[in-house]
Amino acid sequence: MSDYNLSRLNFLIVDDNKHMRALVKSILHALGVKNVLEASDGADAFKELRHFPADVIICDWNMAPLDGLDFVRMVRTGSDSPNPFVPIIMLTGHTEMNRVMEARDCGVHEFLAKPISAKKLYSRIRSIIENPRSFVRAGMYFGPDRRRKTLANYNGPERRKDEMEDAGGSTEGAELSQDEINALLNG
Amino acid sequence: MSDDTPEKESTKAQVINPPRTLQGKVEKGGPGAVDLEALARAESVIANLADDYLDWVKEDLVRLEAAYDHLQKGSDDVKADLDVIFQIAHDMKGQGGSFGYDLMTAVGDHLCRLVEKMEKAGPREVMMVRVHIDAMRVIITKGLKGDGGNEGRQLLMGLTLVGGKV
Repeated sequence: MSDYNLSRLNFLIVDDNKHMRALVKSILHALGVKNVLEASDGADAFKELRHFPADVIICDWNMAPLDGLDFVRMVRTGSDSPNPFVPIIMLTGHTEMNRVMEARDCGVHEFLAKPISAKKLYSRIRSIIENPRSFVRAGMYFGPDRRRKTLANYNGPERRKDEMEDAGGSTEGAELSQDEINALLNG
Repeated sequence: MSDDTPEKESTKAQVINPPRTLQGKVEKGGPGAVDLEALARAESVIANLADDYLDWVKEDLVRLEAAYDHLQKGSDDVKADLDVIFQIAHDMKGQGGSFGYDLMTAVGDHLCRLVEKMEKAGPREVMMVRVHIDAMRVIITKGLKGDGGNEGRQLLMGLTLVGGKV
């Protein structure tokens, strides 16, 4: 196996937990990443983005005063956003279906469930490299195309939407494994 | 349904193809590329942080005890106290499994689920939080890694019963 050389990529880690930042940073360094910047919350990270050209952002959900979702929205739609297209990996212990969909609808590229491993983190980075996504502005949404697989001339039912509606409130809080999250996001 | 409904309007999406800056900075293969060895090295970096993790989790337990004390003494903002407990438990849930303490992740999750259901903090609720903190202490004191074996399973079963009583 020989994969990608990540040494020229700039990573921004946004997490209010310094131990988690240390863990992610250590993994990235072991994968050959040289340039990693840390921020302890969304507001701090947004400031850093003005002078740090991040290629990938790895962002926690639970932070104060500006949480992960607020931060993603600011990056995607803020009039003063330095890079609305930057790939964002949401790293969180929230693995309930409704939370995964909320993060997706907010404009994240990838969702990585804690606890993390090097393999899981690298697989999300590789997915970003191998599957560059178009961006879509539709209604209130601006972010990466949420339909990762495009079927030409597709006129059939909106299966995932229907399934979500059929599931109703009974499964929205159900915890998902990383594989289930990937299946949900990848269609 | 008419095509003029707001829902239909919102499906008229504008598609933008952003510059592929990232792809231009990444090469496949060659020296420095991620390979099985690099992945193994990265996993071993995590394993080497296991001792640090034990310090981190002890700090978390101290914070958790302080939040518990505040709750137990009868706070005027129970919601805020429960939120602090949730945040700490959520961090503990997120870290345990990375270092082989899957049971800590499971108990952290139980505590999160418990406090998010709570609307008050009477003696029964406080006792429920207490047993979760005690379970976390047992995991660290006894070094219960993985699922903790029989002891771990019994412990989780007990917490599930407790959680069901909220």
